[in-house]
Amino acid sequence: MFNRRVVMALFSAVVVLLAVVPVTAQESQITLDFYFPEASANNAQAIFEEYAALFTEQNPNIAINVVYQGSYTDNRNIIQTQLAAGEGPDVAVMLTTDLLSFIEAGTIVPAQTFIDQDAEGEAYVEDFFDAFLLNSVDENGQIWAIPFQRSTPILYYNADLFAEAGIDAPPSNRDELVDVATALTTDDRSGFWFPSEGFPIWLFSAFQIAGGEPLVGERFDEVNFNTEATAEGLQYILDLSRVHGVMPEGALSWGDGPTIFTSGQAAMLAHTTGSLTRILNEADFEVGTAFLPFGAADDDSTGYGAPTGGGNLYIFANSTPEEQAAAWEWVKFLSSPEIQADWTARTGYIAARESAWETDTLTDLVESTPQYAVARDQLAFAGKEFTAFRSIDIQNIINTTLGSIIAGDENDIAGALEAAQTQIDSLLAE
Amino acid sequence: MTARPRPSLYARALPYLLIAPTFVIVFLFTLKPTVSAVVDSTFRPARLPQDSPSFVGLENYLALFDPAHHIGARFGGILLNTLLFGFGTVLITTPLALTFAVLINRRLPLRGLWRFGFVYPSLLPVIGAASIWAFIYADQVGLAAAIFGAGNPNWLGSPSLALLSVMVVHIWSQTGYTMLLYLAGMQNIPRDLYEAAALDGAGDVQQLVYITVPLLQRTTLFVLTIAFTFAFQTVDQLQALTEGGPGDRSNLLLYFIYQNIGERRNWGYINAMTVILGAIVLVFTLSNFLLFDRRGRES
Repeated sequence: MFNRRVVMALFSAVVVLLAVVPVTAQESQITLDFYFPEASANNAQAIFEEYAALFTEQNPNIAINVVYQGSYTDNRNIIQTQLAAGEGPDVAVMLTTDLLSFIEAGTIVPAQTFIDQDAEGEAYVEDFFDAFLLNSVDENGQIWAIPFQRSTPILYYNADLFAEAGIDAPPSNRDELVDVATALTTDDRSGFWFPSEGFPIWLFSAFQIAGGEPLVGERFDEVNFNTEATAEGLQYILDLSRVHGVMPEGALSWGDGPTIFTSGQAAMLAHTTGSLTRILNEADFEVGTAFLPFGAADDDSTGYGAPTGGGNLYIFANSTPEEQAAAWEWVKFLSSPEIQADWTARTGYIAARESAWETDTLTDLVESTPQYAVARDQLAFAGKEFTAFRSIDIQNIINTTLGSIIAGDENDIAGALEAAQTQIDSLLAE
Repeated sequence: MTARPRPSLYARALPYLLIAPTFVIVFLFTLKPTVSAVVDSTFRPARLPQDSPSFVGLENYLALFDPAHHIGARFGGILLNTLLFGFGTVLITTPLALTFAVLINRRLPLRGLWRFGFVYPSLLPVIGAASIWAFIYADQVGLAAAIFGAGNPNWLGSPSLALLSVMVVHIWSQTGYTMLLYLAGMQNIPRDLYEAAALDGAGDVQQLVYITVPLLQRTTLFVLTIAFTFAFQTVDQLQALTEGGPGDRSNLLLYFIYQNIGERRNWGYINAMTVILGAIVLVFTLSNFLLFDRRGRES
């Protein structure tokens, strides 16, 4: 049992600790709070702590406090609440699409300031894939956030079934997709799986990008939803079930998509590149990956196009100039080719810098698993991910409209698109 | 009886001291938020977070019924879904729970196992239970698909089935809990009433109709009130199963509020919707009390 001596010993230990802790904290002059969300099962906490230790080794005066904050949404809501109370992190990973609300609120600082002061700033920016930088800039081309964990949707196909059916290449436009899907459909297998449940805007925007009428351009107060590309894309998806019979009717599951594909119940699947590692592990057949072929055939008979997705690194306005400068060092470290390459190999996200793909880590990975290079190469056809003022509301409008049309609940496509566009325009005019 | 001395100050203050902790909690987490929801529902946030909101009267409420408004266009259908969900689940759960309670209250073999089997769904955390159902409903690979084969409907993705599928999950998880309340109520019914009735020649059904059901009226009042409130609080099942889709076919009011809360500039509408949600629950609870309580006193 605890006698008085033990209690006294414990008490004095606590007192000594309390006295020592501030002293050790002073040794590293700056401690940065770094918040991150997790959208996949990668044990990011352990990886970030490893990176933080490596970083502090190189920059002994900066310590990183790695804080996991739940989902992307949780993370953003926590940060917004803390910022309102005058607190919050120094650096954070947040969705690329969060950019505008933070610029509007004046709570982040542009990365451009640090890039301009950096001797190697220009070369640094040059090295990022252009498609990824589209979601980092404002209307004047000023860079605010640095690409970190970025993704894009790709086409997964069952290469064994392709070989059996004598199909030698994945489809490269929407007509070929129908042909291949028809050839591979059986009574207990769908030819293709287009998940439309919950959050269809992201995957569907591939139709708009491939159709040359993307939802958003450079301006943040203009959203083009009621377009021919949208109407054609919707009709195409409906026809896949109703006319060609290669897919069940109704809203199809996003979350079950990989399982349906790996269990052989769908021959092709459109899904995020973030599912690649899992699909490769689960499938007992040869998995092929290809660019999303949602566009009509153009001159070279291809119809490619896809959005990008994922998270960027943001630096906050609440921090002192010294903390911001330190935060920039941490951002540069996380976006360095070596770390980006390591992060890709361990998570499946696409390394955002071209030079990262020249490191041994990634050349080895691509050599052993060439499927990883497809998402990177598709970036040449990738467009901007949806961002605009009132982004949450507009995404809700678009998701609901797409959802009810694809599920067959709303049959007047033109009318529904027009009504949605009217709501969007009145929000943007507010 | 001896005359009691006047209670001391301490004895008189004691009841207030004892309810003080509860009162503080109710005040902070129920009364204060309710009042601020009503007040804030008459304001609209400014474009920039640092500017103060402007008073708009009842405009937020009117917008909820304006089909050209981004929230109004969806609100009507979602309100209807919510009422359908509330009445539908309560009207099925309550008689079902009573039936199970009556059956299980008899001397069944393995009675403990039956009780456990019925109650267990309500012991699971809602999100976990809903995830189990997500596996059952899963397109093509789920348990339902294994049972129904090629004719398996798209439970969560078809506009006509989505809300129904979510209601099934809610009924499944609530019936056991409701049954437990009825079982507890039944233990308070004196056995001699049944014995007397049996002597007078009343059969099982007559005993149920003339003794059990009337004497469980208090329990029924409580059951209906909380079941209706629970139905209106449904969020977790939707998060795990349909996210309100397809379109808004399975969307419910509280989940819709949650979907829109991320945008600060919607907070006026959100407060208006919260007030409406609260008002519906209040009207239902009050009419319940008026109906049952009066009948209870008359008998």
